[in-house]
Amino acid sequence: MTETTASTTPRTDTAPRRHELLAGSGEAVVLCDRHGTVLAVDGRVELLPDTGPGAMIGARPDTGTLRWRRHDLPDGRHLWYVRDVAEETERTDALLAERARSGFLASASRRLGLSLHPARTARAVVDLAVPKLGDTAMVLAPPSAGRVSWWRSDASGWVQQTRLPEPVVDAMAGLRTHCSPWVVEELTEAGWLWPAEQRPVSALVISLPGNGNPAGVLVLTRSAEFTDEDLALIEEFCSRAGIALAGAALYADQVRTASTLQRSLLPAPLPYVEGMSFGAAYRASREALRIGGDFYEVLPLSDGTALFALGDVCGKGVEAAVLTGEVRQSLRALSRLERDPLRLLALINETMLDGKAMPDRRFVTMVLGHAAPAADGGLELTLAVGGHLPPLLLRGDASVEPVDLRGTLIGVFPDARFAGGVVRLNPGETCVLYSDGVTEAKGSRGMFGERRLADALTGCAVMPAGAVAERVELLTTEWLGGRDHDDIAVLALRADPTC
Amino acid sequence: MLTAERDKLFALLGNADERGATAFVLDLFEDGTPPEDLLLDLVAPVQVKVGDFWATNRWSVAQEHAATHISERVVAALSARTPVSPTRGHVVVSCMDGEWHALAARLVAEVLRLRGWRTTFLGASVPAAHLVSYLHQEGPDAVALSCALPVRLPHAHRMVETCQRTGVPVLVGGSGFGPGGRWARVLGAAGWAPGAREAAELLERRWPPEEPPRAQLDHLVDDEYPTLVKRREELIEIALAALREEFPAMANYAERQVEATIEDLGHLADFLAAAVYVQDSLLFTDFLAWMTAILDARHMPPTSLIVPMRAYWQALYDFPRARGHLEAGLSLAQS
Repeated sequence: MTETTASTTPRTDTAPRRHELLAGSGEAVVLCDRHGTVLAVDGRVELLPDTGPGAMIGARPDTGTLRWRRHDLPDGRHLWYVRDVAEETERTDALLAERARSGFLASASRRLGLSLHPARTARAVVDLAVPKLGDTAMVLAPPSAGRVSWWRSDASGWVQQTRLPEPVVDAMAGLRTHCSPWVVEELTEAGWLWPAEQRPVSALVISLPGNGNPAGVLVLTRSAEFTDEDLALIEEFCSRAGIALAGAALYADQVRTASTLQRSLLPAPLPYVEGMSFGAAYRASREALRIGGDFYEVLPLSDGTALFALGDVCGKGVEAAVLTGEVRQSLRALSRLERDPLRLLALINETMLDGKAMPDRRFVTMVLGHAAPAADGGLELTLAVGGHLPPLLLRGDASVEPVDLRGTLIGVFPDARFAGGVVRLNPGETCVLYSDGVTEAKGSRGMFGERRLADALTGCAVMPAGAVAERVELLTTEWLGGRDHDDIAVLALRADPTC
Repeated sequence: MLTAERDKLFALLGNADERGATAFVLDLFEDGTPPEDLLLDLVAPVQVKVGDFWATNRWSVAQEHAATHISERVVAALSARTPVSPTRGHVVVSCMDGEWHALAARLVAEVLRLRGWRTTFLGASVPAAHLVSYLHQEGPDAVALSCALPVRLPHAHRMVETCQRTGVPVLVGGSGFGPGGRWARVLGAAGWAPGAREAAELLERRWPPEEPPRAQLDHLVDDEYPTLVKRREELIEIALAALREEFPAMANYAERQVEATIEDLGHLADFLAAAVYVQDSLLFTDFLAWMTAILDARHMPPTSLIVPMRAYWQALYDFPRARGHLEAGLSLAQS
């Protein structure tokens, strides 16, 4: 069957048509006789429009971008294979250029991703732009309070917004200006371009796209014209630079806001009160935040005594920190009316219950004390405890004595019962208040625990109050060995007649 | 600085006399001693002596702690007396997380401040997250990191990398980086200075560095370090069992003594892991020499180090690098 079909197919259909055999090779093939006279041309004949049968071809016929390769036939005739390398060169050039471009953009992205600091990011943009994109580069930040900060590779500074040249004003408004001779003119007139002998041929003022508004403006100058390829690359670069600058500006702005709020929630510096010395340590569970649900407060009173407190609101992070701010504020305000720790706790309890929506289950635990210097250089401490870990007394005989007071949580029950008592500190003795972040610190061998804490403080009465607090923080963190932890707060009060 | 003055300050620290110590140093300042000399030639060497007294058991840990605290207060008091308007760049000085020996770093910060740098001292044991957010916020010209103990080097490396990723070049210092700062280069820090004066000179003359060196940690591909960290508790158990076999008297140890032993075994494992991290037996043998001196001061035999090292060596049969360091340690301890 197959044979029959084959035999009936006309032979002419299987024979190659003119120029067909070598159509895809990309080469022209020229057959010449021994004298160089062309006998036939095949393959990619359009490469040789003027070469037909009868034409003469010399010994070394290279012309322009055509490459000729000779193949001798046994009878003296010879073949020329002719190839055009222009496209190849172009393709290789384009490939290399593209590689360089994406390499540059990739390294730009890496470098721009490093910093969240606006000035460092602007400096990185300038450093990346020279000399790849321009001979000089300058970045301008969006105006702030009438001033515009700028960065060049050799310097940085600021100018009044009103003194910006018009192309920069346009770019700052997001109206992009391209290179044209008048940009050079205008920048020169405004005194923005460098001495006349170095005067660039072209300048480019381009806005760096940000979040909605431009994140800044890039000014590039060059001793050569910007080509279309240059402009495409610059545009790509600018979009990356804009994202980085906008990110850094946003971060700086949020950090400014956060740190303002944070400062108001950080523990206040410890005051000086005659006859006593204080030491404290604080470590928030979310360490970068530095604020949390633990708090301490020391309030010197006008009669030479002082109120001191350490507490813990339920929860962690910003929400907890905000609540500690409220509690500390209540404590400060109410201490003007009431100095007895038990009654003061009851007032804080009422205040919290009053300001509360029903489903709010937030509560606080706290030790609140009043310290009054005694004639012998010791201190009389009146303590009140609401659901908090009992304070520890570091005695002169090196022993550690817990004050057995517990009481109910604060901010939960209208009829809460807090525990109160009076203890004495002899000169040189210390009272330590701490949060459960210390005793519940989880190490490789379980929780740190109250026994280890008491052991660690044994014999520490000789230490200044600050050193005692530091020691508790140190041992707790060592115990944790880098593990996550709850907020940690320590407040030490020492009867210090010499201070 | 005269020996008499150092002795006087040391005595005041020994009595935990904060007021006396502060007044003594401030008086020397009023009498014309340059503050930099007071910091580096008086406070610093006296603090070294405090450390020695603790290590050799002549002072209790409470005494050492009180003295260190007072030294810090003395430095703060002197700082308050010597305001300087900054004329140079901004340097952030910080102790790494878990690094509580803050005085040396504080002295660096103070010397830089006195020499016209705007300095920010972030304090002891600064959490990495806090330091990084601070660097992003401030964009300083340099961050100076202190590391007092080589056992913290793996952590130091992460911190150096993290800081460098914010684009801020890192200067390191502290005895943790080894003799001549040999491990600072291994970790790829941009600069190392043995002391406060050298740090100031480095920042004045050769900063920012051209190109920070690349970390030389190619040996870490063998995974010995992370595996050691993961097996830490298991290794301690093995060593504890070996010790119990060698010293039957341990059965009568109080819980506190057992905990102290476990802590020591943990140090041994941690220093071994750090030596594996930087691939240098010297880190491990230095620790052993120090530990032997401490044991000696406490009248304990070096056998209590040799037994756990042998136990680690046996357990770590497929850890050629760790074994190499243990062998170096054993030959030192047995000599």
